[in-house]
Amino acid sequence: MADDKDVLRDVWFGRIPTCFLLNQDEVTEREAEPYYLLLPRVSYLTLVTDKVKKHFHKVIRTEDAEEMWFEYEGTPLKWHYPIGVLFDLHASNTVLPWSITVHFKNFPDRDLLHCPSHSVIEAHFMSSIKEADALKHKSQVVNDMQKKDHKQLWMGLQNDKFDQFWAMNRKLMEYPTEDGGFRFIPFRIYQTMSDRPFIQKQYRPVSPEGNVHTLGDLMKAMYPVALSNEGEPKRFQVVIHGIEPLLETPLQWLSEHLSHPDNFLHICVIPVPSD
Amino acid sequence: MSLCVLDEENFHLCCQLLLQLSEQLGDGWSWEGGQSLLGSRNITDGSDPAQGSQEGYLRKTALRSVVIDSSSVWDYEGGWSDTSCQSQSEQQEGEQEQAAVDASADTNSIKGDLEEQDEDDGVCVVSAGSSQLLQYEYHILHSCSYSTPVLYFRTCTQEGRSLSLEEVWSSVHPNYRLRLQSSPLNTITLQEHPLLGQPFFMLHPCRTEEFMRPVLQAAQDQHRSVNYVLSWLSVVGPMVGLDVPLKYSTLLHPAAPSPAEILPPCTEAASST
Repeated sequence: MADDKDVLRDVWFGRIPTCFLLNQDEVTEREAEPYYLLLPRVSYLTLVTDKVKKHFHKVIRTEDAEEMWFEYEGTPLKWHYPIGVLFDLHASNTVLPWSITVHFKNFPDRDLLHCPSHSVIEAHFMSSIKEADALKHKSQVVNDMQKKDHKQLWMGLQNDKFDQFWAMNRKLMEYPTEDGGFRFIPFRIYQTMSDRPFIQKQYRPVSPEGNVHTLGDLMKAMYPVALSNEGEPKRFQVVIHGIEPLLETPLQWLSEHLSHPDNFLHICVIPVPSD
Repeated sequence: MSLCVLDEENFHLCCQLLLQLSEQLGDGWSWEGGQSLLGSRNITDGSDPAQGSQEGYLRKTALRSVVIDSSSVWDYEGGWSDTSCQSQSEQQEGEQEQAAVDASADTNSIKGDLEEQDEDDGVCVVSAGSSQLLQYEYHILHSCSYSTPVLYFRTCTQEGRSLSLEEVWSSVHPNYRLRLQSSPLNTITLQEHPLLGQPFFMLHPCRTEEFMRPVLQAAQDQHRSVNYVLSWLSVVGPMVGLDVPLKYSTLLHPAAPSPAEILPPCTEAASST
């Protein structure tokens, strides 16, 4: 059990060294220096980049500056996805630090959601938590919580307070022992091979016959392309928090320990790097 | 409890029925994405995760003339605040609010028609906003998390400019705003479309069970069948300017036999108007 708690900490404190560069087309009053930051895997871009905005606002004409947005190698980065998911999906097999381009003009509103304030991030985060609980507990646990409990979850994330967050989040990880797990596992599978943003369906951690479902079982049911057949070379990696968990890992355990603070298991399917 | 739950299979059945009715009425709904509702379930070649399932959505586009009421401003923190109109006196603003409430009798017109308001109360209402022709696109998807239908929509001007969340809120009829506002989740939000990945406005589904329960219970008590998606749509659609003609329900439950059934099938009778 001590090991399992360590996993929770490792997940929470995961960081990605990032270098923010101003888009070359931005008009500057003097040369824009890059800005380096260690980004929390479990947080959201617009929540942790106030310093980046401040830094670049010093060199651009702030009258012209619109909403800040980020791009990696031509792909606009969705702030509403956890940072770790964006990295694993788009840049995991490249050299660190992760180089992100910063824009203050031409917001791509056909691709990105607007994020005018932190309260929008909070609303999005709480909405994910509620949706996860709808799947796990028919919303019973989250609806029994008070407003201040919800606030504690958000403040824990916003202020990087592991203990404060988990004091409340542990309630969302409980289940009746006789059930053997949650009702359905909250998960999303991401891939870049098609336009479809993610796969999300109802999937039980334990079959009606009592068989414990594994990560491999989930992938087989939801995205079999990700798995390679016997004797064939492996074409894809199934990545959670930057690592490839064994396919035999029980899904219930993954949900309890490797979920993001929003209570979802975010799974990235990426092509195996060609050497 | 399971009464209010709409699983994916039943969602598809409801959509199929709605589509058939829509075709008869020329209401413009279509089924998009995934496979056709009537297609086979078993085709999987694995290249697209959506294949092999019937995932898709109902889609409809519509042009609406909308007045964006800029006398009220949606504030993310606190809800509505009435900014005092520079171009109008307080009294005129009060009359405008009153006229809006009077006009609520016709729930389908979202302040789109100034002449109509003239008829109602003889007051010439000069709205603070301007009337615009907007292109609306509505999608109905199934939420597997809440086991309910969900309404997504986006809207843009004739020049192709997408509307902001504030503008969308401003175009919602004041009577509906109150109801939507009471939900702690700011019921209309900008979300990523789960199948297309593009930003759409969404009506949050977490309250759906609440208002569907009495409808479904009553239907069960009266041994009537109910099309969940259609009933749900008739409640949420008008909030965002989506018309659900009454004819849908008369097609579902015809009160009287149609003329074709009464009259003998001969050419003279068939051409009656």
